[in-house]
Amino acid sequence: MKNIFKQGAISAAFIAESIEKHKSKMNIGGHSIFLGQVRADKINDKEVMAIEYSAYEDMALEKMHQIREEIFEKYALTCLHVYHSLGQVKAGEISLFVFASSVHRKAAIDACEEIVERIKSELPVWGKEIFDNQSYQWKENSK
Amino acid sequence: MPVKIISFGPVKDIMGDQQFEVKDVADTDQLIQVLHHQYPALAQTPYIIAVDKDIISGNTLLNGDQVVALLPPYSGG
Repeated sequence: MKNIFKQGAISAAFIAESIEKHKSKMNIGGHSIFLGQVRADKINDKEVMAIEYSAYEDMALEKMHQIREEIFEKYALTCLHVYHSLGQVKAGEISLFVFASSVHRKAAIDACEEIVERIKSELPVWGKEIFDNQSYQWKENSK
Repeated sequence: MPVKIISFGPVKDIMGDQQFEVKDVADTDQLIQVLHHQYPALAQTPYIIAVDKDIISGNTLLNGDQVVALLPPYSGG
């Protein structure tokens, strides 16, 4: 089973390298990329400095495998890559990277959107919002 | 046979970091009773339960040697 988890933030260099690697797959006509960035939310005058992610890793990887199989059945994708951070990711840094590719653009765009929604609602991952004064609260995903 | 309990996120804040085992519980309803007695704050916290990584929708028999996970609402991404 593919491991989607990476310790810490996902770097711009890693994302660029992933794009570069697809040069050799010349049947691809479109990529759709989603990048989730940690937002410096202000909550009761306290600002979010970072999010610390934790996961039920075994269950999350099984679930991601299942989502991947269902997405490949539903959309004509050439390839699909998903990376999610664990541990601390500072505000402004990337914590989720979804990369869908297809022969024609529509499959990649639609699949990418559906995968992001399913990751948010179905993967057992938790984000702890850490404030500048080192207090924290558990993140809640909006719809 | 004891079942192993693991928890995450805000539920882990209540139950503490350590994994532990609970003996002599026949099903998940009974297990919840035991846990709520031990950790009263659990009653005020939303969570779902997975037995061996499968989310359960109702009371589920525990025949031992399983991993029961308490999962608060997900907030990844």
